Amino acid sequence: MRVGLIASIGGHLAVLVWGVVSFPEARPFDVGPVDTLPVDLVPISEITRLRIGEKDAEVREIEATKPAEKPAPEPDPETPPAETVAEKPREAAPEPTPAPAPAPAPAPAPEPTPPAPPEPAPEPEPAPQAAEAEPAPAPAPEPEPKVAETPPPLPASARPRSKPTPPPRVDPPQDFNPNQIAALLNKVEPAGGGSPSASDAPASLGSREGLSNVTMSQSELDALRGQISRCWSPPAGTAGASDLNVRLKVFLTPSGEVDQRPEVMNSSGNPSFTIAAESARRAVLRCAPYSLPAEKYDSWREVIINFDPRDLLGG
Amino acid sequence: MNPVELAQTTLAAPQGDMSFLALFFQAHLVVKLVMIGLVGASIWCWAIIVDKWLLFARTKRQMTRFETVFWSGQSLEELYRTLSGRANHSMSALFIAAMREWKRSHEGARPAVASLRQRIDRVMDVTIAREAERLEARLMVLATVGSAAPFIGLFGTVWGIMTSFQAIAASKSTNLAVVAPGIAEALLATALGLLAAIPAVIAYNKLSADAGKLTARMEGFADEFSAILSRQIDERS
Repeated sequence: MRVGLIASIGGHLAVLVWGVVSFPEARPFDVGPVDTLPVDLVPISEITRLRIGEKDAEVREIEATKPAEKPAPEPDPETPPAETVAEKPREAAPEPTPAPAPAPAPAPAPEPTPPAPPEPAPEPEPAPQAAEAEPAPAPAPEPEPKVAETPPPLPASARPRSKPTPPPRVDPPQDFNPNQIAALLNKVEPAGGGSPSASDAPASLGSREGLSNVTMSQSELDALRGQISRCWSPPAGTAGASDLNVRLKVFLTPSGEVDQRPEVMNSSGNPSFTIAAESARRAVLRCAPYSLPAEKYDSWREVIINFDPRDLLGG
Repeated sequence: MNPVELAQTTLAAPQGDMSFLALFFQAHLVVKLVMIGLVGASIWCWAIIVDKWLLFARTKRQMTRFETVFWSGQSLEELYRTLSGRANHSMSALFIAAMREWKRSHEGARPAVASLRQRIDRVMDVTIAREAERLEARLMVLATVGSAAPFIGLFGTVWGIMTSFQAIAASKSTNLAVVAPGIAEALLATALGLLAAIPAVIAYNKLSADAGKLTARMEGFADEFSAILSRQIDERS
């Protein structure tokens, strides 16, 4: 036994010495100084809010014509076009707008109005043409001399002529659609997605254009919503304003115009719902040329938008 | 403080005291005790392993030598006379025990041969049991260490990690530099436990198999010798 004990102790000592000698210290990893990256958490609305112009911001003149000409490829929050487009109608258009009131269902004729009213301020040319179509906007365009030097934007204004098609399909407001009972029961509104699949059509096997990367970013959707909500004056002071949540399906052309009458997708027992729905529809038509990324047209061809008075009233 | 500076200072802090001995000395007392116990167990295990290894080798050599002598045609009386003088183990002990019983039975006026065969068998069984016990002594230590040492090491590790979490709580910092030394020293306990357990388990399996083989060899010899003696008894009666 003694031999074994001695051998064992000797062996352990040898191992210990070897360990101390050959593993003197753990070698530290070579880590270079780490550059710290400052990370800010920014809610998406903070970016998109920027596009919603302030009413009392100062008016900028020049860029107003651009959005119609080229839909902004990317929703740069600071691009002024959106702001100016927003401001002009606010200042100049409000008076004419009462006139387009016929726009609602009964009279299909004024349909082409949408593109025109918002435009008149920035561009003088469209005014004469639009004047034939409807009398209302005529007062609005005070032809400013300075805008005269920007002829290019015409394409947008020329559109009204080609668009008379929508009138024929004046569908009666779908108050009750048995296929949407579940949707009617569901009080929580789905967020208005930008993709066509949000409609009740069956899922397709692929996008029409074969584009793979067509989903709109949230900020782009928000931008669209911002553009529309700017033109929207919800029926204030009505009872149960919280019920007046309108969902519109908007059909858009590649240039950002409204293609057909926007469909109201929900209904409500509130008597003033139709008024709210009409106001929402009007808002969509009024702000008509929307600047959206053209390469993603496939995803915003049909857009479902929620008009929730609470968002607007409550801030 | 500039974050870069902070990173550098915290990186630089734990360097320099990560060697084996430093880890041991800065460990908590309980962890230290666990480590000492494990090192002691390891030393004890290796002592047993070496001891048994030598014992088995010696025993095997003795058996082989005894068998060659036994089957060389030498007279049993003579062999008994040469062997009885010294301390005997294994097969020679077996032989001596049986021969002694035989001799005692033939002493005196009336030889007691009626149940001599049973008595010789019994004596050889007892001797085999004693020899087997001698061969297998302390093997259970190896088995115990082999199964318990990992748990003991784990206990040390858990204790050390508890300490490091207390360090986190005390310093209110989850920086790796705060936690790392504690965890390193804690893991050393598990390493020691495994270091003690692995050789113990392997050696236990090997040595117990060897002991079984030696015992079986002794039993075989006992049967053969018993056959020889019973033939003698039958021839004489």
